[in-house]
Amino acid sequence: MSAVAPEAVPAVGGSSSHRRSPRELLLAVSQYLGFAPAMALFGLFFLAPMGLIVAYSFWTQDGYNVVSTWTLSNYQQIFSTPVYVSTFLTTLWMTAAATALTLAVALPFAYWLARYVSRRWQRPLLFLVILPFWVSYLLRVTSWTIILGSQGAISRLLSLVGLSTPSWLLYDRPAVIFVLIYLYFPFAALTLYASLERFDWSQLHAAMDLGATQSRAIRRIMLPQIKPGITTAVIFVFIPILGEYLTPELVGGTRGVMIGNLIDNFFQEAQYATGAAVALLIVVVVMVLLVIFRRSLEVGEMYGR
Amino acid sequence: MEMTNNLITRRQALRTGVAGVSALTLAACGSSSPSSGSATGPVTLNMLTWNDHYDPTKQLPAIQKETGIKVNVTLGSDDAAMFIKAKQSGDFDIVSADALWVPYDYQQALIEPFDIESFPVASQLYSVSKEFPFWKASGGYLGYPRAWSALRMYYNPKFVSPAPTSYEVWLDPKYKGKVVMENQPTDLVAQAGLATGSKDPYNMNDAELSRAKDFLTQAKPAFLTFVSQNTGVVRALANESAWLTSDNLGIDIRVKSAGGPLIKSAVPKEGVVGWMDSEMKVKGSHANRFEQFINAWGEAEWVPPLFKQYREAWFNEKAYKMLVNQGQGEFADALLYNQPEEAAKAHLKGPSKNPNAYIQVFNQVFGA
Repeated sequence: MSAVAPEAVPAVGGSSSHRRSPRELLLAVSQYLGFAPAMALFGLFFLAPMGLIVAYSFWTQDGYNVVSTWTLSNYQQIFSTPVYVSTFLTTLWMTAAATALTLAVALPFAYWLARYVSRRWQRPLLFLVILPFWVSYLLRVTSWTIILGSQGAISRLLSLVGLSTPSWLLYDRPAVIFVLIYLYFPFAALTLYASLERFDWSQLHAAMDLGATQSRAIRRIMLPQIKPGITTAVIFVFIPILGEYLTPELVGGTRGVMIGNLIDNFFQEAQYATGAAVALLIVVVVMVLLVIFRRSLEVGEMYGR
Repeated sequence: MEMTNNLITRRQALRTGVAGVSALTLAACGSSSPSSGSATGPVTLNMLTWNDHYDPTKQLPAIQKETGIKVNVTLGSDDAAMFIKAKQSGDFDIVSADALWVPYDYQQALIEPFDIESFPVASQLYSVSKEFPFWKASGGYLGYPRAWSALRMYYNPKFVSPAPTSYEVWLDPKYKGKVVMENQPTDLVAQAGLATGSKDPYNMNDAELSRAKDFLTQAKPAFLTFVSQNTGVVRALANESAWLTSDNLGIDIRVKSAGGPLIKSAVPKEGVVGWMDSEMKVKGSHANRFEQFINAWGEAEWVPPLFKQYREAWFNEKAYKMLVNQGQGEFADALLYNQPEEAAKAHLKGPSKNPNAYIQVFNQVFGA
């Protein structure tokens, strides 16, 4: 038996018996060079701030200074003070309600747009959906304080028909949820539209031809197929709302407070260590959520493969 | 070891070994150190201040033309955050601060005193503003006085009767959901401290804080919203969604200017909290250029436009006379501009020995 030298395999992670030449190594590394800018950005804008928040949350707050002495006292303080847990739970249900309502509005809109509107009109309508992004976030929310205010359009409309303005119209939780729906509707609508646009409508027709009602066909045929789109929409809406503090501050008043506002109070007074610990609560929930939805986020399923 | 030595520096952050921290550190290492320059040549001074301290369109370009000093302004939010930012970055030449924060910044070795009487422009100041004992140090004065205000109670007499005489008006069920305040947790807790008998509202002990918390808990239903800027207070009073506030002098004038109803002011019997701010010279920055900047920036001619925009009582006496000549005397007097001695009568804003406890009180009362 003649000894045959094995072919050089440029794959990453070859057997230890094979020693790569410098050229092979360079080739292997060069495959990933294209990712370098993305990795740098990821490190700079995600890992670095996150690392800093984690570190701060375990450091000691001494007056206005953060001292690099490791401690669990920030977390002890949070979990021994009921208001942080109760505010966090309130934030969770407000976020869940806002997300559910946003999807409840966005799904029929995307369905109508993808199924009944001609291709010619779909683009202008989608353009209208993203039009609010041309105005700053702050301005959009502030405008709602005027619309929902005691002298605003809704109050005037209600008084015209002889109704009094409900006290929760502004500076309360319903106002926060309402404005959040307005703010995050485009994210949900665009994501769901992208999913529905690829849906094969003939499957719905086939189901109905076989005796299913329209609602049953939608429930059993369409919804399972656009599940990745729905999941993505939930993530795009739920996660940013969870950390919201500006909308509750502007339209929530003292009754619409979310956990972001309490964090903001800590940061306002340079209490970074305690603030970081509360902020990490949100991070943990987001990570749990992402793990739960991980399967629905698989790329293959997203594209119907 | 002094507390300042324990501040988290970039180098210490690097030692933690957190990858993210390291990346941020490397990025931050590229930032510049305090500006340098010759005594007369072009120079850039970095200033950490609030937006009512300068006019970016006319004043700063004029200063650059006159002195060669280009000012890079970074806007700050609160005294505490500005102190931390200035201390940690080491990038600033001039920093602004309120009242008792000024000596704190000095104790923390952020700033250094200067001889205010040697500044020609200081002759335009009310003499009382150059004599505040808490702004004096062995090497001179700690800040160049700018403006001041006290937080009085303002109310809409159409709905609020009799006129309030105490913070206890917040407990009156008649005014449920009718109080609007700026989102300043420490100031509100300090005012609750005054309401419950504290003599040093920015440095309350645990028992005093507990009383302040109980007071705020009872008063909570009165508070409609906490706004991020006082324009929000003006709007709420103008459209009558709120009837009461505790805010800077001159809110009544601003509400009137916004087309709102008549608003009156009252001084609560327990006393008021207040602020007076100044520009401070950061330790190690260029003494001659700081003086040159202040001499140009502090000129009375720059005050009237800023006064008309922000309605604040400055410490510049010469500017008061200019305002009177420009027909702004009524506004200036309403702000007590010509009574600068009133500035020190308020419980002045300053650092707390336990700032975390103040935020805890506020969060526990106003959390969901």
